[in-house]
Amino acid sequence: MKPSLIYLTFGSLISLLLGIIVTIIIPAAEPIGPSELARPYTEQELWGREIYKREGCHYCHTQQVRAPEANAVMIHKRGDIGPESAPGDYYYQSPVFWGTERQGPDLTHLASREGIGNNVAWHIQHFKTPRGISPGSLMPSFDYLSEAELQALTAYMLTLK
Amino acid sequence: MLPDTPDSASRRFLYSAIFWLLVPGLFGLTLATFLYLPATQDLIPLAIKPLLSFGRLRPAHVNIAIFGWLSQAYAGAILFVMPRLTRARLYSERLAHVNLWLWNLMIAAAMITLPMGMTQGREYAEMIWPLDLLLVANFVLLGINIWGAVLRRAEQKIYVSVWNFMASIIIFVPVYAVGNKIWDPSGAFTGMTDNIVNYFYVHNLFNSWFTTAGVGLALYLLPKATDKPLYSHRLALWGLWSVWTGQHHQLNSPAPDWLEYLTVVFSILAAVPTIAFMVNFFATLRGSWHKAADDVGLRFLATGAIFWALTCVQGVAQSFRTFSMYVHFTNWVVGHSHLAFVADYSFWAFGLIYFIVPKVVGRPIYSKKLMEWHYWLTTGGMTVFMITLWIAGLIQAQNWLSNSIPFIATVRSLQPYFMIRFFGGLTAGIGILCFAYNIWQTARQPSPESAASPVLAASGD
Ligand code: HEC
Repeated sequence: MKPSLIYLTFGSLISLLLGIIVTIIIPAAEPIGPSELARPYTEQELWGREIYKREGCHYCHTQQVRAPEANAVMIHKRGDIGPESAPGDYYYQSPVFWGTERQGPDLTHLASREGIGNNVAWHIQHFKTPRGISPGSLMPSFDYLSEAELQALTAYMLTLK
Repeated sequence: MLPDTPDSASRRFLYSAIFWLLVPGLFGLTLATFLYLPATQDLIPLAIKPLLSFGRLRPAHVNIAIFGWLSQAYAGAILFVMPRLTRARLYSERLAHVNLWLWNLMIAAAMITLPMGMTQGREYAEMIWPLDLLLVANFVLLGINIWGAVLRRAEQKIYVSVWNFMASIIIFVPVYAVGNKIWDPSGAFTGMTDNIVNYFYVHNLFNSWFTTAGVGLALYLLPKATDKPLYSHRLALWGLWSVWTGQHHQLNSPAPDWLEYLTVVFSILAAVPTIAFMVNFFATLRGSWHKAADDVGLRFLATGAIFWALTCVQGVAQSFRTFSMYVHFTNWVVGHSHLAFVADYSFWAFGLIYFIVPKVVGRPIYSKKLMEWHYWLTTGGMTVFMITLWIAGLIQAQNWLSNSIPFIATVRSLQPYFMIRFFGGLTAGIGILCFAYNIWQTARQPSPESAASPVLAASGD
């Protein structure tokens, strides 16, 4: 092999390796424990997370509150987006659902919202007919989920404190 | 099944890419309809409702577009370019055909599993574990053909495009493997690390594969289509430090601040190779713009390069924390990703296909008129589509931060923009139908236009 080919190969691999070390391994090595909001999931809540993943809720909803908007931006009323997200909030999650688009509101602190937070019946009704509850909503109607699936999904929603 | 004739694998890769382009096009229009007229989602019969649910169609749209259409178009073009730049046959034409079949197996399986909700739930990394393995195998096979051709080359000088292809494969295979946690069927890490790895991968999918290989392809086509040598070979080497910039996808997030600042610095540094490429591209093109008036392929290439410059300007702007705070999570980002994906890389792929197909079938493109329709409809449609989403994104950002209206009101105020976006996408889609039909006819029969006024069929390289 020409030396230049060897340089290319090793140059590429070393650059990649450094990239992985600096931008993945070092941040991953920071000791992060669970925050106050994090707690292990029950069987049913984990199932709810699986449904969240399968139905791709994270393409419309984020689960990260950034510092400048924390306690300020309005979902239903001023500031109810909730406090800034901390790394420890995600301690028990795999995968995480940080998301990249907000076609719908951020759900990080959904369960702390007044009125709908712990309201199981509201959630189930909203999943079945989002536009019935919130005219103009873009959300798909999840009336194709079974009753047990809706319960599990709602149980997961209630963990979003 | 596995013919050994030169360029046969390249040709089939390009055809199958065009076939798969129609699928995400259709899915994209469906998604745009759901946003424009959300109540249409309630009209779908219950039996197929889950398959068409927004959150399942979205990953199908994205994965088939990136791996079915664009990656196969790149593979086909690379397999065409390699023998010409190395002046030797491909390492193995048969292997390339095996590669093609495995590639289509992977995409067909993705097309079934993703709407069924079988997903790993991480953006751009949704394909389930067996398909992740197939994807790695596919890129390794493509890499064997690229590297094999280099090692057996008759031409001693290695042209800059070949460097790009080689580096691209070497970096992308491990990037995919790490990003998709290939050693674990769940495909996901835990906690914050999961997101960090996810966007390390997403950024490098674009950086190490679509950009690095795409720049290689563009720098092959440009001198051919303009009949001029490349302005500079030195300027063409792509900056390897772009590997470090992935974390700018999550600025202001819970990820460590030092990581965010680091990534901002590297993102700004990434402007250097970008500017080098632009200088090289437009200095080569200087004096040949009139050729782009006749040659739709060259026009797509040049238009793609202009859009690419815009992508990079936006990309650098978005990697500042303040600007990111403003536009991130809005429809601005959807506009940006379509700018990169459709208006540059796919435009380059259109240009390449218009250049390569006549060579591999031995006759000119079936209809020049349809090429013009393709160019104008797709460019016009995409321009409207993107500008609308950028405006919509800025409005969304302003509405959110102004704190004066509840979230649902910000959603409703986007309706007119979603309408224009839908029609922009539809227009671009009609252009793409012209393209697919035109290539299909080229593959089937001699052009009636060339029968009327005999044009020499393009030959050789
Ligand atoms: C097409 C985008 C989209 C998808 C996919 C989607 N949503 Fe929504 N969602 C919205 C929009 C828009 C709203 C705001 C209007 C409303 O309340 O319906 C919303 C509202 C919500 C709310 C109420 C939040 C609040 O504070 O008022 C919850 C809870 C919710 N979605 C959960 C989910 C879950 C769980 C899934 C997946 C099963 C999902 N969404 C999928 C768009 C979407």
